[in-house]
Parts: sequence; C-alpha cells; structure tokens
Amino acid sequence: MKTKNALLLAAALALGSLALAQTHEKKMTGPAKERHEAMEQVNDAMKVLGGMAKGQRKFDPAVVKAEASTIQERLEKAATLFPPGSDEGETKARPEIWSDRPGFEKALKDAQGASRSLQAVTDEAAFRPALGALGKSCKECHDRYRMSDEH
Amino acid sequence: MTRRRAAAAAASLLGLAAAGFWLASAPDRPAPQPLPAHRADLANGRILFFAGSCLHCHRPADVRADRELPSGGAPFKTPVGTFFPQNLTPDPDTGLGRWSARDFLNAMTGGVSPQGRHYFPAFPYGSFRLMKTEDVLDLYAYLMNLKPVRSPERRATVPLLPVARRAVGLWKRLAFRQDPAALEASRSATWQRGAYLVTAPGHCGECHTPRNLLMIPIASRALAGGRHPAGEGRVPSLHGLLARHRYKDAADLALALEFGETYGYDKISSGGMGQIQSNLARLPGSDLQAIAEYLVSLH
Repeated sequence: MKTKNALLLAAALALGSLALAQTHEKKMTGPAKERHEAMEQVNDAMKVLGGMAKGQRKFDPAVVKAEASTIQERLEKAATLFPPGSDEGETKARPEIWSDRPGFEKALKDAQGASRSLQAVTDEAAFRPALGALGKSCKECHDRYRMSDEH
Repeated sequence: MTRRRAAAAAASLLGLAAAGFWLASAPDRPAPQPLPAHRADLANGRILFFAGSCLHCHRPADVRADRELPSGGAPFKTPVGTFFPQNLTPDPDTGLGRWSARDFLNAMTGGVSPQGRHYFPAFPYGSFRLMKTEDVLDLYAYLMNLKPVRSPERRATVPLLPVARRAVGLWKRLAFRQDPAALEASRSATWQRGAYLVTAPGHCGECHTPRNLLMIPIASRALAGGRHPAGEGRVPSLHGLLARHRYKDAADLALALEFGETYGYDKISSGGMGQIQSNLARLPGSDLQAIAEYLVSLH
C-alpha cells in the first residue's frame, strides 16, 4: 500500500513538473528574448531600406548609413546572445547554432560585413546591389540556423 | 488433423494476402500512346525549373560542386526515411543521360522510375502529375541541356525498402483517387496561371497542405497550413494573407516572393522557404504577380 502511494505521488510530481516545464517553454525569456528583439530591429531597418529600393521612399544616403549602422550594431549584439544552453524554451534558433558554431559565426560575420559595406554607399546605383548582398547574407544564415515560422 | 488444416488455411490466406498486396501495388505500365509532337521551348523549361525549385532538393551534396546544377545527392530527410534525390543533369551513368522523354514523363506524372519501380512521394509527383505534358517535355529538354555532372549514388535509408517501395503503389491508389480541383473558369488568365504554377510545378501544397494519417494531402484543406513535413514546427496557411495583414496586396506579395529579406519581408525565409524564395526570384515578374494574385484570392 505504502509503495503504491509513493508511486502515485511520484507520478503526480513528475506530471506536475512536466506541465510546469511546458508552460515555462511558452515564454520567451533571457537571451532568446533579447536576440529576438535585436532581430526585430534589424527587420525594421530592412523595411525602411526595402521601401527605398521599391521606390516608395526617396533615396537618402544619410538614412541608408543610419539604418545600416543600426543593423550592424544589432548584429554585433546578437552575436553575444546565443550562449550555450540558450537553445531551450520558445525560440526559433536551430540546434545547429551550437553544434556548428564556426559556421554560425561566419554567417553572422558575413552579415555584419555586408551591413558595413552598405553604410559606405553614397549613390543610388550602388545602393541596390549592396542591399541585395546584405539580404543574401540574412538568408544564408536564416536558411541554416532558423526554424520554420510557426511552430 | 484439424490443426494441420487450420495451419494450411492460414498459410494460404497469408499467401493470398501477399499476392493481393503484390498485385495491387504494382507500378502501372507506362502508357503506350506516343508523345505529342512538340518542339521543346528551353526558356519555358527554365521557368518550370525555377517554379518547381528543383535545385532546392536536387542540389549537390558536395559544397564545392557547382551549386547551380541539380546534380543531386544531398540528403533529404522525411519522417519515412532519408532519401538522396536523383542527379538531374544529363550524366549518362548517374544522371538523366540515358532517360527518354517518356521515362521523364512517367517519373514526373506517374512516380515510376525507368526501371519500373515506384518512387517515394518525397519526390512530389502528386503535384507534378497535374502539369501539362508540354511543360514536362520542356523541363526535360532544359535538364538535358545542362552540363552533365557525375555524382555519387547513394541508396535511400528506409526500413524494409523493397516492401515499403511496393506499398507506395497502394498509397498512390488512395492518394490519386480524387481528381484535381477544377480551375475556376470565370477567373482571369493571370489567376489561372498563378493557380497552375502554385498547384502543379510549384507543388506548394506538398508542405502547405495538411496530410491525413496516411500522409495523403487533405484536398478540402488545400494550402491551409499544417505540420512541417520534415517534422520541425509548422508550415503557415496561405489563406487570408491580406485579411491577416501578412501582405498589403498582390503586388506586395509578389515583391516578397522576389526579394524576401532584402526588402524586409521576413516571414518568407525560414523552414526551407528561403531557398524556395531564391528560386522563385528567378521567375519572370508576370509569373510572380500571377502566383501572388492567386494566393491572395484564397480566403
């Protein structure tokens, strides 16, 4: 009888902690939250630059420089926001970020480099290819290290 | 005596069941009628090559190989097992070099190899079978004009491969029972073109349409999103893209398909879609607009 009760209690505890772990996973916290915010800011900047490329906004090298430096800065910050163990909970980060660290770091460095080149752009003719190169570097990293949108 | 008789009866039942399975799962014999007279249009073949994002699965395994050529061999993981997609360059030994146009048509629309074996539906012939014959022939011509590349051949790792391959025959009987939804004749030519590109060569439904327990796409829920077929997260629904404020209008979606992240369209680049977008970016603008017009019409 005693063993049965103990077993039941253990099972209940196990279930309870499992449920707790489940609810915990739904929330984005710590580095996952911070890198998500940094990436959202990169996306906001890309939307401004994209609007310019689409012709919805007048080409302005000062705006390009400002947005491209925001991107570079956020990407540099993001590089510090994938510490070991931050692959748990609500995140779109793929495990390859940690299992293929050199590849991930190179992909991030390439994107930072592309955002630096974009800052140096002064004329409209050079703007589109520089923006294209930055977009390509975003994609290369997302392809390999980011999960599907809805999960 | 009765026991022996029962055993004999059971054995013959099993034998019958096995024979039934073997017969019902047999690949269909290639249709004997001749191919239509057709002069290959390589430019159209190229459009179909990118509309189908063939490179996405048929890319080379070797990172030093030419990434622009579909020489195949990179592993393709599915819940059923791991496949190594076919080399689509005209190399005679490892590619399509010895394939006839008929072989290619049988593969694309019947899911049957030149050796008469079933392909697993990881190769999306469930969608390609809806392609126009002329388009399949143009794609064949385009592939046969690529630079031949030799590739290492690797066998799929699927448990009980020969039996599983045969079981695909039964799957086809079930999956292909329903006729493709008729296109709405009242719609514009652009819409029709978009519907065709999305449904047939684009095979969007292979990921964006949920499947039932037998892995058969659920026709009534076409493009409604569901589990990611590679088992990682979910694939978004393509219905109500405007109502859900994903895109402003068809032109906005067409720009997203062409430029992706470069223009700040972030929702179109993960879970494998990034590579597909890179392929779609190489379609003529009119085709991207057609795809977008069709998709935003899905409420």
